[in-house]
Amino acid sequence: MSATHALRPGEALPVGPTGSGGGVWHVYRAERRKLSTQLATRLLALVCVLGPFAFAGVLKIQSGSPADALFGVWVHQSGFALSLVVLGFCGSWGFPVLAGVLAGDIFASEDRYGTWKMVLTRSSTRRSLFAGKLLAAFTFSVGLLLLLMVSSLAAGLLLVGAGKLVSLGGTELSNGHALWLVVASWLLNILPMLAFTSIAVLLSVATRNGIMGVIGPALVALVMQLLLLVGTGVWVHMLLAASAFDGWYTLFVTHHYYGPLAVACIVSLIWIIGCVGGAWLILRRRDFAGTPVSRRPGWVVPTRVAFGSAIVVAFLAIASNWGPAGDTAARLKASIMPAFENLTLLQQRELGRYVPRGSKLNVITSCSRRAATPSGPGDWICTLDVFIPQLGAEPFQQTPVNYDVSLEWNGCYKAESPPSFVGQQTMQAAGGHQVVNPLFVIYGCFNPL
Amino acid sequence: MTPVAAVRAKGLVKRFETTCAVDGVDLTVQEGEVRGLLGPNGAGKTTLLRLLFGLVAPDQGQIELFGHPLGTAEAVNLDGVAGFVEEPTFYPYLSGRVNLELFAELDGGVTAGRVGEVLEMVGLAGRGEDRVNGYSTGMRQRLGIAAALLRSPRLLLLDEPTSGLDPAGARDMARLVRRLAAGGTAVLLSSHLIGDLENVCDSFTVLRRGEVVWDGSAQQLREQAPGSAYRLATSDDARALEIAEQHPGVHASRAPSGELRLAVTDGVDDYVLDLGRADIAVRRLELVVSPLESMFFALTSDVELDPDALGDLIEAALAQT
Repeated sequence: MSATHALRPGEALPVGPTGSGGGVWHVYRAERRKLSTQLATRLLALVCVLGPFAFAGVLKIQSGSPADALFGVWVHQSGFALSLVVLGFCGSWGFPVLAGVLAGDIFASEDRYGTWKMVLTRSSTRRSLFAGKLLAAFTFSVGLLLLLMVSSLAAGLLLVGAGKLVSLGGTELSNGHALWLVVASWLLNILPMLAFTSIAVLLSVATRNGIMGVIGPALVALVMQLLLLVGTGVWVHMLLAASAFDGWYTLFVTHHYYGPLAVACIVSLIWIIGCVGGAWLILRRRDFAGTPVSRRPGWVVPTRVAFGSAIVVAFLAIASNWGPAGDTAARLKASIMPAFENLTLLQQRELGRYVPRGSKLNVITSCSRRAATPSGPGDWICTLDVFIPQLGAEPFQQTPVNYDVSLEWNGCYKAESPPSFVGQQTMQAAGGHQVVNPLFVIYGCFNPL
Repeated sequence: MTPVAAVRAKGLVKRFETTCAVDGVDLTVQEGEVRGLLGPNGAGKTTLLRLLFGLVAPDQGQIELFGHPLGTAEAVNLDGVAGFVEEPTFYPYLSGRVNLELFAELDGGVTAGRVGEVLEMVGLAGRGEDRVNGYSTGMRQRLGIAAALLRSPRLLLLDEPTSGLDPAGARDMARLVRRLAAGGTAVLLSSHLIGDLENVCDSFTVLRRGEVVWDGSAQQLREQAPGSAYRLATSDDARALEIAEQHPGVHASRAPSGELRLAVTDGVDDYVLDLGRADIAVRRLELVVSPLESMFFALTSDVELDPDALGDLIEAALAQT
């Protein structure tokens, strides 16, 4: 249709609004609409819904279990454990990837499509545009996290069942209590998720490159995960945004401590404020003057950024030894001993043996690190000498049980013992069905601060 | 009481690294006025529009829109200001209609039928549901104009608005601008081709290397124009050249292609009448450089504004056109 037909001479010009000014809410609505129509967002939502079901389905048709993850050996027995394993995986990789794909392009796409000059010449201020886009990125990030929570719980409860969840102290949790703790654990990951969304936003604004914004958070998470593996100090480790995803572990210990949880929340807030503040400063001061020669793609800026990042990472790797070592033999001993005791009694009950209320084991524990330094994360060995005075219980009297312990900087560990000591991963319960042998793998956490 | 100008800029300076893109520019656009912003490529027109939109911050100088200072970049409030710089851009994966709806949302929302109205106005009603990545350059230009009209602007800033439009579209564009101006809208149109704006604008500001080299009404520009140029084809070109020598205001020459060119400061009508009296048939007389165009080239080229140099000026203008 030609404009000649549309614009007749003398025709009255329809009157529209003079523009009442688009605030944060209007920008948010526009961004929400854009994100909703993007294929990447829809695929992410699909993955969040179907991923846990696929994971549960795969577990259902094979006998193996992701024993390296906390609660991993329990995934065939408790749907809550399945949700927590999904949460643990998301904390390492899933959330940074989700944050990157969702928020990494939200600002850079305006550069790619050249639309900054269009949106900035509407009635919305630069401040409103920034806030609206940020709000959209945050709400979609939280939305995907909640979707994953619901989906993983549904997959676990529907495909695995509501079997009892065993806490990190070796005690059984009621289903209601377990559900509450699982939901709380997911919700505690909102702040770290927003921290990585903020990293994605910063990269998106600073680099003006959607690819950097999308893969950047995953790269940052990878580097942080590697840094968490080196060094024995707690100071640098607990300042890394990736470590904030571990805060929820403290909900499942028997003797509660909230220091790491508080630190995780504070660290997340610091990352959010730092990244969002940095992104806003860059956007606020930016001149939208086309693409000057100095901003065109080249090797100089990426090389400088890579070089600078390498120096920062090297510094952090060295600094990761600073501060007190959170992982000590005394703390590990104090944690693994009651867990072992509780799990032994649980094992006895599962086997149908009479365990009087208030029964206790007498255990003498010693732990040592398999390295030159006596403290820090890594491989440990713990020997538990057991004495059971109660009549009718399995006579483990003065039997030494060795556990190989894989200890992380945050005080969480996985302890495995050879089957010759504690039996196979599954055992026949009193009712004749196969259940997880509680002593096969011990998961636990202690306060490293 | 002096009416408040839609745009009042004083002493604007903007530098990019070692280049001074805008150098001490003063500019005023009154409500209901259509002002042409002219200059060759690189004169600073687009940078000046970016400054007015708040897309870049000036290094020096002040801008007032409707009497309100345009503050720091983040505090820009462009209510009532619309338009685009360079070519309009859109989200290519969305339809034209959805693009407009998103822009309208950024303005605080519009009435339900407004998007349809502006699509109808620019002749895109039948293509509004198509994705923008399937649009031609001219269609994107029309969509850009539609985006600008969404909120019935009080100030319309358009950069090369006829770029990519077919002749009918350019005519419609001119009509639309005049109608908006008649309704009180201030319009600032930039172009590097004066022909695009000649019949639309009430006044002109000419930029060269970031500086204002001329500012005034269209009438003043015409009056100060050094002349115009024509292509001439006759039944006897040799005699036509001889007759031109009798007319001081007409300088005729033969172009390398063999055709005649006339550089005229005055008296083209008398010259044509003399050709007739000499039994020379005028087969073609085509205006190739209008008075405004010659003025524009004089102002924006290195050729001195001197009647003796008019031939050179017109040669340069012809080469560019």
